[in-house]
Amino acid sequence: MMADPFRISKVEQYSPKSSPRGSRSPVVPRQDSTGTLKATISLGKNPSIVHTGPFYLIKEAPGESELTGATNLMAHYGLEHSYNKSSGRKVKDTLSSFLPNLPGQIDSSGYQDNSSLRSVIDKPPIGGKELMMLNSMQLSGFRLHPGPLPEQYRVFNQVPQKKNKHKHKRHKYKPGEAVPHHMEVVTSQTDLALAAEKKHKKQKRHDDDKERRKRKKEKKKKKSSKHSPEHAAASGGGGSGGGGSGASSQNNSQISTQ
Amino acid sequence: MSSSLEQLEQSLEQFVENIRQIKIIVSDFQPQGQNVLNQKIQTVVSGLQEIEKLKSQVQDVHVPLEVFDYIDSGRNPQLYTKDCMEKAMNKNEAVRGKIDSYRRFRAHLLVELTSVFPAEMAKYRAIRGDERPSS
Repeated sequence: MMADPFRISKVEQYSPKSSPRGSRSPVVPRQDSTGTLKATISLGKNPSIVHTGPFYLIKEAPGESELTGATNLMAHYGLEHSYNKSSGRKVKDTLSSFLPNLPGQIDSSGYQDNSSLRSVIDKPPIGGKELMMLNSMQLSGFRLHPGPLPEQYRVFNQVPQKKNKHKHKRHKYKPGEAVPHHMEVVTSQTDLALAAEKKHKKQKRHDDDKERRKRKKEKKKKKSSKHSPEHAAASGGGGSGGGGSGASSQNNSQISTQ
Repeated sequence: MSSSLEQLEQSLEQFVENIRQIKIIVSDFQPQGQNVLNQKIQTVVSGLQEIEKLKSQVQDVHVPLEVFDYIDSGRNPQLYTKDCMEKAMNKNEAVRGKIDSYRRFRAHLLVELTSVFPAEMAKYRAIRGDERPSS
């Protein structure tokens, strides 16, 4: 007896007739806390539905939050200094620049040689046991044969060649200072290249000078031949010899100096 | 906290240095180097003990897992901080832009609706509690 009215009321609550939106599932209860969905339904000869609430689609405004994305959160949390520090400074990309004192090649991927930190998290090492110093018996297990390591184990000794390391450090070492050996080789190579370039330029300049002088000489020659009394005689009878031209140029120079 | 971190850093550096020295000894082993090698092995064990002791002092240090990805791929972990900061800044600015756009849109919509439905908008504003549209 007690269950019946409860069931009826439940059915009424979820009935599609009472739902403001017929298309929506009546199973999902929607509470109208604003009272804006109030409607009066009158039946009879002239059935009508009158919305008594002010607006049908009005919803509660979202709650005001003090801290939103509208504020500069970096300034709000006092991280501007850290931001400027991290963004303004040029950080080198490699891990070795962060850990310069660490030996070995650390810039390569840790996944390659199975030395990644991620693998330590994924497969934690066995721990919890107390670490004890080794006794003489245990140390005897570390007795080694004299001689160098076999070839296949020498990979760790290889030092990676750094590319263009000294590209911008040409003037790091002053002429009077002692230069490290490896730098010496590089500097000597660069010096050679520079010298070759210089030489080439010098040669070019030298050639230019030669040409200019030649042209000048010819010009002078022409000039002198025009003014000299011999010119009239020589003009008819071919060019003068090498010695003649030299003499004329000499004369010319004398004239010009006078 | 910083002192315990510094201590740990020092211990790790010392440990790495010991391993490096062992590598040198082992790479071209001489018979007279056995004693030195044994000493070095004992030093490694004591170094591990020291690191184990310091473990308890740095329990409350939290490291983001993404940093490990940077380190594992041979990148400078400082770049993580930089990238994080830049991402946060960009996201903040994007959200700020969205909020400003919605605010402007709301103001514009209210103005337009008021011109078309003045009575309804007056009612609406009365319900909302804002008497005039915010510009």
